[in-house]
Amino acid sequence: MDIQLKRGLLDVCVLAAIKDGDSYGYKIIKDMKPYIEMSESTLYTILKRLELAGLLTVYTAEYGGRLRKYYHITRAGLGRIEDFKDEWREIMAIYQFVSKT
Amino acid sequence: MTKKQFLSELKRKLSGLPRRDIEERLAFYGEMIDDRIEEGRSEADAVADVGYVGVIAAQIRMETPSGGRKEKARSKKLGAWAVILLVLGSPIWLSLAVAALTVLIAAFAVIFAAVVSLWSVFAALVGCGIGGAFSGTVLAFTGNALPGVAMVGAGLVSLGLSIFTFCVCCSLTTGAVKLCAAVVRGIRRLF
Repeated sequence: MDIQLKRGLLDVCVLAAIKDGDSYGYKIIKDMKPYIEMSESTLYTILKRLELAGLLTVYTAEYGGRLRKYYHITRAGLGRIEDFKDEWREIMAIYQFVSKT
Repeated sequence: MTKKQFLSELKRKLSGLPRRDIEERLAFYGEMIDDRIEEGRSEADAVADVGYVGVIAAQIRMETPSGGRKEKARSKKLGAWAVILLVLGSPIWLSLAVAALTVLIAAFAVIFAAVVSLWSVFAALVGCGIGGAFSGTVLAFTGNALPGVAMVGAGLVSLGLSIFTFCVCCSLTTGAVKLCAAVVRGIRRLF
């Protein structure tokens, strides 16, 4: 798969994983596992990129006597998911055209 | 491998990258391991599940190709305001720098003067020792036995002291050279 395309898809996957509620690194990987395998290194890079782009925010909270980082989707992040859904409809249309010819 | 070993090894393999970046990555992986342990896995299994530290480090380095160098390059670039302030403040910082340099040179001069003095003492003791032993021997064989023997004895004492002085001189010289090297390294690091 094209690297740029894959990167975009993974970004949206991570946003979708935190769409319904704040989550943390390991849980994000576990939630995505049935659909896509992701390494910790890849996830870290994606989370950093999304944070810099303002699509999510990070905060630290105490859990079980230690500190854990939680990721919260922003309004811009939710917008990105909607944009992806619209783009996907276009991609499906192109796919149908390409498959037909 | 324990969590501590994993993180220590990862830190070592990431050396050269920006410190903040390394700390954030270590915290991230530490959390990943802790979450797996909380799920019920053993520490060794949790660490193994996170991945091989060599591969992780290589991946991180690939993502930040000029990581460490980027930070150094950024620190060398001066903004326009910094240049203006440097020029305007030059009467103050320049005279302070000259004063500091003078003090440093004086300190080095004092240290090396002490070293040279001690070597002179060593040379003098050797000279006295050899001279005393030789003259004492000649004196002893020309009818002045007692003064001759006394002089030989003094010469031997001198030679003994010179051996002790030699050891002290060597240690002091080595120490002075190391101190100079450390100061030069420290000054280089500032710039």
